[in-house]
Amino acid sequence: MSHILEGKTAFVTGGTGGIGSAICKRFAREGAQVIAADLAAPAELPERVEFIAYDVTDEDICRNTFNELAARWNKLDILVNAAGIEIEKTIEDTTLEEWNRIFAINVTGMFLTSKYALPLVRKSAAASIINFGSYDGYIADPGLAAYCATKGAVHALTRAMACDHGPEGIRVNAICPGYVDTPMLQNFFGESGDIESLKKAVRDVHPTRTYGTPEDIANLVNWLASDEARYASGQLWVLDGGLSAQVQQMSL
Amino acid sequence: MNMLRHKTALVTGGRQGIGRAIVDRFVAEGARVMTCGRGPRPDDLVAEVLWETTDVADKSDVDALTDRVVAEFGELSILVNNAGVQIEKTIVETTDADWDLLMGVNAKGVFMLCRDCIPIMVKGGSIINIGSISASTADPGLALYNASKAFVQGLTRSIAVDHGPAIRCNAISPGWIMTGMADAAFAVANDPDSAKLDALARHPAGRFGEPTDIASLATWLASDEAGFATGQCYTLDGGMTSASPLNPGLF
Repeated sequence: MSHILEGKTAFVTGGTGGIGSAICKRFAREGAQVIAADLAAPAELPERVEFIAYDVTDEDICRNTFNELAARWNKLDILVNAAGIEIEKTIEDTTLEEWNRIFAINVTGMFLTSKYALPLVRKSAAASIINFGSYDGYIADPGLAAYCATKGAVHALTRAMACDHGPEGIRVNAICPGYVDTPMLQNFFGESGDIESLKKAVRDVHPTRTYGTPEDIANLVNWLASDEARYASGQLWVLDGGLSAQVQQMSL
Repeated sequence: MNMLRHKTALVTGGRQGIGRAIVDRFVAEGARVMTCGRGPRPDDLVAEVLWETTDVADKSDVDALTDRVVAEFGELSILVNNAGVQIEKTIVETTDADWDLLMGVNAKGVFMLCRDCIPIMVKGGSIINIGSISASTADPGLALYNASKAFVQGLTRSIAVDHGPAIRCNAISPGWIMTGMADAAFAVANDPDSAKLDALARHPAGRFGEPTDIASLATWLASDEAGFATGQCYTLDGGMTSASPLNPGLF
């Protein structure tokens, strides 16, 4: 335990999800004061993590949450925009309602949270915003059209925020996970077929021969949140076990 | 701070600049470290760091270096290919001797170090190659340097794919880091001082990088924290390449 985040405050959207909860746990272990913001309270929270009911798609909630937070905290050092959903469909099968919903959460939610958090983030002497992009923002997974599009938007927004707010001392980066063992990945694998042999095939195609864990992702979020990463900004950090370093592997 | 306890590291080009910052940080994190350079051991190198006078472009030197790693450490867990040279020329001005010097160090040296070191990473390892942002976007007048750094990126991915899961291999692409190499690049500008001010205004971080910034990322990549990171070229440039090179605010 290095306590690399001692004295820092952190706000994590999607803070009770697969990756979000691992981030909150790691931040708390490193000495930060942490708020896990999400739709519904989890059964249990790690020590030093506070839950706040939050909806990234609701402008009033976003505005009010940070107004109230400004009365309690004099700065926000770390903002993690981890709230996100996935829709397993091609564009033909995607309804307009579904398209609008995934953009509302994955992109508009990041915009609203960042917009209303900025005044408090600006008060930090060493602020770090970490957005969740995806390896799917670079290369497509089949049947995830709207999801891929939202992640491309996140990547562009990340660079824009870094460019605009860097001079104010705010670093902005995105993490682009590949396959990470979360409920979202289990949904992607689906119910049909031989799930174990599918999982093995997916593991074997990775240079690391494994897919990632939420803790692997939290390791990089922790580094980017810390002052160790004080020169890192405007970048998209792919963390995928080497998957995208290789061309598609044919079964010959 | 013991992120690299029980690890052994070889860092090329440890005389100064980025290489020295990495050596010092690795020592602070508990690693046993060997470094090298073309000249004699620098006087200010901390006593516990091993030094081997080495030209990384010379096969017999590289073989002797890795033999010494085995003799001193028994095995290797971290290799940082940092040694590099820069020649400020377009290709029309570049001589065959320039090619041999630059590609010998920046490309052949990295290849030979990896070839020798992968077999001695018997408990698995992390290779970190120092690339450059100029692998993806060209710095004017640095033709061979830019091309050599694209080689480094391609080799990095190949090693990750061929030698995973035991070996992880990543590259760091620094932007403008305040070293002798950056000073040499600014020196060729018409007005070096105003060139520096212009460059500074293009950094969202509001400053140039320091060698210790690169050492921070090298330490993370060398540590077990980065267990899922491989095959990537991570840019650390204070946000410079995230913004368009056409910046109307500077006109």
